[in-house]
This record gives sequence, C-alpha cells and structure tokens, in this order.
Amino acid sequence: MNIYQCDQCEYASVSNKYRCPSCGTGKLQEQDISTKGTVYSYTDIHIAPAEFAHLAPYTVALIQLDASKAKVTVRMDAVVEIGDTAELHHIEDGAYIYRKC
Amino acid sequence: MTNVYIEGIGMTKFGKFIDKSMKQLLVEASIEALEDAGNPKVDAVFVGNFMGGSIGNQEILGALVANELGLGYIPTAKVEGACASGGIALRQGIMGIVSGEYDTVLIAGVEKMKHASTADVTQAINAAMDNDSNEKQAGLTFPGFFGVLANRYFHETDATKEHLAMIALKNREHALHNPLAQFQKPTTMEEIMQARIITSPLGLFDCSPTTDGAAALVISRKKGAIHIRSSAQSSGPTQMQDADDLLSLPAVRESGRLAYEKAGVGPEDIDVVEIHDCFSMTEMLAIEELGFFNKREGWLAVEQGRTKVTGDKPVNTSGGLLSRGHPIGATGVAQIYQLVRQLRGTAPNQIEKARLALAQNLGGTGSYSTVHILERL
Repeated sequence: MNIYQCDQCEYASVSNKYRCPSCGTGKLQEQDISTKGTVYSYTDIHIAPAEFAHLAPYTVALIQLDASKAKVTVRMDAVVEIGDTAELHHIEDGAYIYRKC
Repeated sequence: MTNVYIEGIGMTKFGKFIDKSMKQLLVEASIEALEDAGNPKVDAVFVGNFMGGSIGNQEILGALVANELGLGYIPTAKVEGACASGGIALRQGIMGIVSGEYDTVLIAGVEKMKHASTADVTQAINAAMDNDSNEKQAGLTFPGFFGVLANRYFHETDATKEHLAMIALKNREHALHNPLAQFQKPTTMEEIMQARIITSPLGLFDCSPTTDGAAALVISRKKGAIHIRSSAQSSGPTQMQDADDLLSLPAVRESGRLAYEKAGVGPEDIDVVEIHDCFSMTEMLAIEELGFFNKREGWLAVEQGRTKVTGDKPVNTSGGLLSRGHPIGATGVAQIYQLVRQLRGTAPNQIEKARLALAQNLGGTGSYSTVHILERL
C-alpha cells in the first residue's frame, strides 16, 4: 500500500498533500509499505447511506499501520475489537477491505 | 472586539413541516428578527444552508429573502459550510460590517429535510465528507465517524455508553422547557440505553434528528445591548484517517482558542454555552476542546452534572441539536438565538445573571468550526 511520508518531520498519511500539514515545509514522499496493522478503533454501521445500504450492517475500522505513523480507514470483512491485528485482503471500488490475521 | 451588536432575533419552531416551503420558513424567521430589531434598513443578507439544492432543488436563497421581504436590490449570498453553514453566514455578516461595507445585515439559516427518506438524507449529508477518498469508499458515515471516536474514547478512559446517554438525557430534559424544540417528550436512561443502534456504540438518542426549521438575526454596527465580543473560524482534517489525535477536533480547539484570545476572556469566564452536539460524543469532545474540562475528563464533568442547567457550566440549555433539532443550515443561527435570549434574561432554562455566552458550530467530520462569544452590556 502507498503512503506519503514527510521528508522533514514524522507526519505520514495515506493521502498525498501539496505540503506537509504538520511542519508546513516538508514535501511528502511516496512509500510502498506493508498493509499489516492494528485496529485503533471501529464502528458497526447499522444505518447506512443509500449506496451502502445493501452491505449493512458492516464494520468500518481505523487501522494503525505497523510500518508507518499513518492510519488508514478500511472496511472489515467481520466484526473486530480494538487491538486486533489485520491486513489487506483486497481492494473493492477504491475501498481497502481488511481481514483479521 | 467586533463592535457588532445583535439587534433582533427570530426562529420558527423546529420539527416536521411538510406543508411549509423552505422559503416560507426563511421568511417567517426573518420577519420575526426584523420586527424584533425595529425594522431597520438592511444592507445585505447572508443565508446559511446546506442541502437546499441537493434535496430541495432550491438555491438563490439570499435573493429570495431580499425579494420576499422587499429589502431592495441589496447584495445577498447563500453560505455553505455543511452543518457550520449558519455560523459561517453570521461570521460573513460580521466581516461585512467590520470592513465598513455594511451597517446592518440580516443573517438567516434554514433547512428542510423531513420530506426526504433517511437513506436519501444520509446520502446528501455525505456530501460533507471527502468523497474522493478510500475512506468514503469504505462506507464511513457521519454517525460512523463519531462511533469510531466513541469506541476509542471508551478504550482510553473509564467512560461508557452510559456517559453518552447522560448527555442525551440532559439535552432532552433541557428541550422539555423549550417550546421551539423538536422533541418535547420525556425519556429515561433506560430508553436511551436500549434504543436501536445506528453506528455502534451510538444509538438513536445519541444522534441528532433530521429537522425542518429556520432562524434569523439582525446584526448592526449601532451600539445595542448584546455585543458580539469575538468571532472565530477554523478548519480541520477532512478525513478521519488524517487525524493526528483521534480524540481531538482541531477545528473546535483552534476556533475556541482564537475566540477567547480576540475576546480577552477564558473558558472559566463563560456563563452559558451552546455546543454543536450533532452526536452525544461530539458534545463530549467539544467541552474538552473548548477548555471547559481537561482532555479525556469530559465524562467526569458529565457524570457530576456540571453541564446541566443546574451545573457550573451549563451546555445546550436549548436542548442542543439532539433535542432542539438540527435543521442543518439553521443550527448555527439557532444557537445564537438561544444565547441572546439567555443574555436578555428571557430564555427557556434561564441561567441567572448570564453575561458571557459562547456558541460553537461544527461542519463536516470536524472540517469547519466557528466560535462566537456574546456579551451582555
């Protein structure tokens, strides 16, 4: 998975930015890192917008990546708890679909 | 110090008004504010609104107000900042007076949501997320965002779902005394705790409702009884995955810091507060970010009843978004309506001798925040 790491400070994000929003001077550099991480928090979505209603209930989790300071928002293929380890299973319509490991 | 004063206020009842158009609601609140101000000449109009175009097929709200009220061919605009549309509209009016361009400005806010299905409204609200992102594609929603925050808050503190329920119950109890509030039916901790889950751990009572309604203000450079001591606005991350500290809302924190600095007061000086409780969890974080309580200790203040109308830092004496209702574009203006009534001494849930009042209005998942500090002269 690609993440963007500031060349001046510790800031990292899964989305690129013109300049580092943390230090204000650094440029973000693309890095390809492991998708493995830990569930930082999550929610089970029972009431969904029209375009996701057919999936409900489904679980969205914020994953703290092991190899970066960056976090990534994913959809889980099962219910989770904070602290569970997980990794990318596949990408679907631009969404990272994660599975516990 | 802005040297801008609030001369008049108006507000419709909040609720479900299928037979009233958005224009009718806007005009009703605006006329009340103009009459309250003594019908001054108006130099400009700013209207806060979020989804009039997407689910109501109605834009040009500024010009509609000017024409319906016969204000003349004055400059007008609609202001969009998601749920902070009303607060930003007020700020634009203040800036217009501070710049010297206008003497008197009409601010209004409106939303009409009850005619649409929950799925369609949820979809329209999702326009206030970064839709070109993996986060949106994962299926995150607004209540989902605050559900993720709540689970983390429970993990890092001793707070539980009961503390969120206490916030929802408090705001409902406040709304029972506010005849303009959407929800006037009493509830219990048990009912709140057992309500159906929307986005775990948030249940139905933890989420603000869809609402029809409007509110309006007349502001002026002419010295009056209610001074807008400061106006501040900030932005924050537009995606949850970009949050540096998940349990912080930087836009709220920064807009609060700026507002205190400009007003020359601190959180300890504020007598009464209207906070953007789109979810019970949002109120929990905002009371911390605005400096009323320590970080990750807001739940203790809630447990001790300190944010009730009877507490030392009364929050959402109107009933808040949770129980007064949340017609998105009107909310930021309705907060000011309640605080002006507090400072005039005529509010539901009146706080004795209130002199300084603070309103905080949030847009998106922490994307926009405005803070206004009002003072009774």
